[in-house]
Amino acid sequence: MTSIESDTEVAARLEFEEAQRSEGWKLLRAALKVQRRNLLLGALVGILWASFKVAVPQMTKFAINDGIEKNGPLLRWALIIGGLGVLTGVLSGMRRYVAFRESRWAEMLFRERLFSHILRLHIGYHDKAQTGQLMSRASSDLMQIQGFIVMIPITLSNVIQIIAVTAILFITDPILAVVALIPLPFVNLSARRFSHRIHPASIAVQAEQAQLANVVEESVSGVRVIKGFGAEQVQFEKLEKEADDILRESMKAARIRSSFMPAIDVLPALGLVAVLGVGGHRVINGDLTVGDLVAFNVYLTLLIWPLRNIGMIVALGQRAAAALVRINEVMSTKSEISDPTLPMQLPHDETENLGSVKFDKVVFGYNAEYPVLRNFNLDIQGGESIAIVGATGSGKSTITRLLLRFYDAQSGHVYLDGIDVRKLKLSELRSQIGVVFEDTVLFNDTVRNNIAFAKPHASADEVERAAKLSGAHEFILRLPKGYETVIGERGFSLSGGQRQRIAIARAIVANPRVLVLDDATSAVDPSKEGEIREAMKTVMSGRTTIVIAHRPGTIALADRVMLLDEGKVAAIGTHEDLVSTNARYREVLANMSADADAESQEV
Amino acid sequence: MWAQGGVTDEDKLSRAQARTVIGRVFKMAAPFRKTMFMAFACVCVTTVCALAGPLLVRRGIDIGIRQSDSRSLNISVAIYLGVALIAYIFGRAQFLYLNRTGESFLRVLRLAVFRQMQRQSMAFYDRNKAGVLVARMTADIESMAELVQWGLLQFIAAGMLVVFALVLLATLSWQLTIVALLVMPLLIAASMKFQRDSNKAYLTVRERVGANLSALQEGITTVRVIQAYAQEEETIRKFTKSNRELFNSHEHSVRVSTWYFALIEFGGVFASALIIGIGGWLVHRGDVTLGTVVAFTLLLSSLFDPVQQLSQLYNTVQSAGAALNKLFQILDAKPEIDEHPGAIELPKVGDLEVHGITFSYAGSETAALKNVSIRVGVGEKLALVGPTGAGKSTLAKLMARLYDPQSGSVAYGGVDLTMATMASLRERIVVVPQEGFLFNGTIRDNVRIAKSSATDEEIDAAIAAIGATDHFSTLPDGLDTEVRERGSRLSAGERQLVALARAALVDPAVLVLDEATSNLDPGTEAEVEHALERLMNGRTVIVVAHRLSTVQRADHIAVIADAQIAEYGTHEELIAKAGRYSALAEAWKRSQSAH
Repeated sequence: MTSIESDTEVAARLEFEEAQRSEGWKLLRAALKVQRRNLLLGALVGILWASFKVAVPQMTKFAINDGIEKNGPLLRWALIIGGLGVLTGVLSGMRRYVAFRESRWAEMLFRERLFSHILRLHIGYHDKAQTGQLMSRASSDLMQIQGFIVMIPITLSNVIQIIAVTAILFITDPILAVVALIPLPFVNLSARRFSHRIHPASIAVQAEQAQLANVVEESVSGVRVIKGFGAEQVQFEKLEKEADDILRESMKAARIRSSFMPAIDVLPALGLVAVLGVGGHRVINGDLTVGDLVAFNVYLTLLIWPLRNIGMIVALGQRAAAALVRINEVMSTKSEISDPTLPMQLPHDETENLGSVKFDKVVFGYNAEYPVLRNFNLDIQGGESIAIVGATGSGKSTITRLLLRFYDAQSGHVYLDGIDVRKLKLSELRSQIGVVFEDTVLFNDTVRNNIAFAKPHASADEVERAAKLSGAHEFILRLPKGYETVIGERGFSLSGGQRQRIAIARAIVANPRVLVLDDATSAVDPSKEGEIREAMKTVMSGRTTIVIAHRPGTIALADRVMLLDEGKVAAIGTHEDLVSTNARYREVLANMSADADAESQEV
Repeated sequence: MWAQGGVTDEDKLSRAQARTVIGRVFKMAAPFRKTMFMAFACVCVTTVCALAGPLLVRRGIDIGIRQSDSRSLNISVAIYLGVALIAYIFGRAQFLYLNRTGESFLRVLRLAVFRQMQRQSMAFYDRNKAGVLVARMTADIESMAELVQWGLLQFIAAGMLVVFALVLLATLSWQLTIVALLVMPLLIAASMKFQRDSNKAYLTVRERVGANLSALQEGITTVRVIQAYAQEEETIRKFTKSNRELFNSHEHSVRVSTWYFALIEFGGVFASALIIGIGGWLVHRGDVTLGTVVAFTLLLSSLFDPVQQLSQLYNTVQSAGAALNKLFQILDAKPEIDEHPGAIELPKVGDLEVHGITFSYAGSETAALKNVSIRVGVGEKLALVGPTGAGKSTLAKLMARLYDPQSGSVAYGGVDLTMATMASLRERIVVVPQEGFLFNGTIRDNVRIAKSSATDEEIDAAIAAIGATDHFSTLPDGLDTEVRERGSRLSAGERQLVALARAALVDPAVLVLDEATSNLDPGTEAEVEHALERLMNGRTVIVVAHRLSTVQRADHIAVIADAQIAEYGTHEELIAKAGRYSALAEAWKRSQSAH
């Protein structure tokens, strides 16, 4: 943020923040509307609970005045108090249950909506967003909101309790009530200020903890370097500094706690002292009964927790609002890529060669000032395979992204079977394009579900046929539980080649018109490269295929080769043609070979 | 809201373990004995103050009000006021002393565990996953922070309050004490059941939270594949399922606490009913005074609240105990590679001689190296080649004493490496790993890691020695550029240059290189090659080679296969031999010209 802002800029910023905040509250209100009935029930239960709770000291008073001092029906009073015990017990349980259940329910619904929204946002958004940021929207920010919602019914009953107790105290003895209540607003005030001040302090502690975690993390991952150079002391000193910082910040927080918590504890005691002093004299003078005095004492203690809670809810509310603003930033982002209002249908005539792809005068850049594709034209016949070759950053992968509509071209058109991709429903378009990405993604799921990803209800037969085509069937059978083996980050770990073959099988199950292989051999042990190529060859036959080649060996699989240079088609033709006619092609090829050599390591 | 924390059955400490953990904690906290004692003293004072209140009310009623003695009443009030003030002052002090003790303890614990981790050999890091080690130093220690901040205080105070309150009540009236205790068995049984159930519920919640977070993260990180295959709906459906499961576990844990808190609330009121009923009857009989009955109703909460608090804190304390136990295990792990008591300096120059070493990694049954001997003369360049897992990297690591062999020896200039000082060993023999690892900080800081005493000039000289001065001067802040998040700002080649500069800074006699298998960005590839050549010049070099060009430059080549040296000789000799090496060289050549 710049330090110099003009008044209008400040005003605009404040207005924006205010608008965001009110938007956040609106979201919360809308979400809570669904649960209005249950939240009201919770509040009602809370109010009932508060009234019975307030009645207990009143009954105690009667019991003392009437039962003990005047020899009245003691047993009856004791039974009434016991009965109230049952009621307050049940109601306090219900209040708690409703409050927590509803807050968790709201949190759950919020998380679902957020997740659905994030999943549907355009890839351009995801390319810029940080996973960690999105994660904390759906976890820690929602926790703040849950923490606030749970307090809503509780706060309502607290307010009722405070009002009722105050009323009773004033009715019993207005003068004593004033004296006794004087210190209590300070409880609320202290709780509020405490909540405000402790929050930044604990954030500071967390920040220092994160820095220490960084040092530990790099010391563990970089242990070879540290051992190799004997740099243990250097890292130890770094850690010591962070540990000292944590201690310092923690003690700051402790000082804040120490200056508020005992005060919050002691203030009600001052009220009790006042009751004993002023009230005692009034009993001696005959203005008050002993029972009243005891009841006063009990009532004052009943006020402590509600006052503390109400003090805290203000701060909780502010934190929840801030979290809502952040969540709203995500929720209010509209996906830039969406279904057309009047979608067209892809032709389904089996007699024709389906799967033709056409790029027509396409201009595109991730940043409009630096186009990656400039006036890019490409015509691929249905069933044809084409290899795209180009230097790093020449825009090879961008072609896939435009075809999939991860991004839209700034100008020009992309057609699938003669229909502009922007005129198709996204699901229809994407179900006809099978992509094997350069870095294979495996889900934490069984091999079967990983392969059947595009078609969750695919039969066992379909899955196995795809696995056989991609050459994965044999190794899958050798896995501990065959097709039911859980793979992925937390499951059984597979080699690069095995991962690739699963990814290819996944694309086959989708049975798409167009197959895009973003060089499926790049992450593979060179000795296995041949096998993958064999698998690719099998699945490519008779299907439109775009191969993005990072290794020379892959080029041979395609009917034609296109050389992409500076965002344009520099040359197109068969591999042999280009080798003999195009110098730039030979140069790119040579670079690829050098890279490939660097990779071909062990035998 | 109640204290969280939970511990699985396998982590739960046995009685003996708990005793050991507590004993060690006190031993470690010995330096802050004084603050600890002060904290304890303050807690005692505030507890007494908390109990004094109702007692003073009793005195005021019985002696002052009921006898219409204004003076006595005033004395009670004055004392009460004084007690409140004392409670406030000592309340503040107890917070500060207790937090000071606790946080200082955590600091000492952090430093001790980290130092111990740093002393461990590579084998330790092979055995323990990085994530687990980081968790020990962060999550496990942080889990105790809450306890230190207020939990411990509450735990001690609650325990003391129960004891003090019981003693006090008994001295006031033994009859009413028995009445008050009538509810106790119910309360204790309920608390114990709650402690067990909530522990279980908490563990389920924790597990589901983890699963939910994983589902969330998987969804976000794999969004490209999900959208490419139009599987948004299906993925959302699965996530919803995990999300509902999380809700159910939360709901269950609320239910567990619901009946408990309901029972506690009921128990409190029910006990007062008993006190009023039976106490009133005793007043009529003249056995107790009215003030005592009132004091009892006021003191009841001093008896019930702490029991409730103790049961809630019990889980937190237990999980802290489990965390401490794990940390102490790290502290107890003996470093496998340590400096020998009578260690001597390695000579400035000398041959590196491997003599009959056998080595296997911990937990592995097969030997990584079997009776291997090799000698590398001063200034000689040795290339190690062979299939993956045959042992060439292991041999290189043993030659730099990253591990110690189980039998046999590695000597430099005639001195066994295990007899050398660590400092001289790290000065003579430097390992450059495959990938340049960067620490947070500037490029200069990253080079300085190799020699913390190096001046800026020495670092500039090291960069110049590998010919990278020009390259780094093009960066915005030159060598003072922050590398950010593990060097994500630098290319792989630049990171490798930093690693080489580190080696140049140490200026070792022996260089152990693990050649990168993956290729670098074309822009810096040549520069790295060039830097390597300059660095290797005039030094003894052992290189784990993956490229033909590297091997051809070596004086000797050792082919490692099946944990042994299968072939040894110059490039020409081995080609002539037409064995493993010549086959390997042939394959390398083929892959080069194939395209």
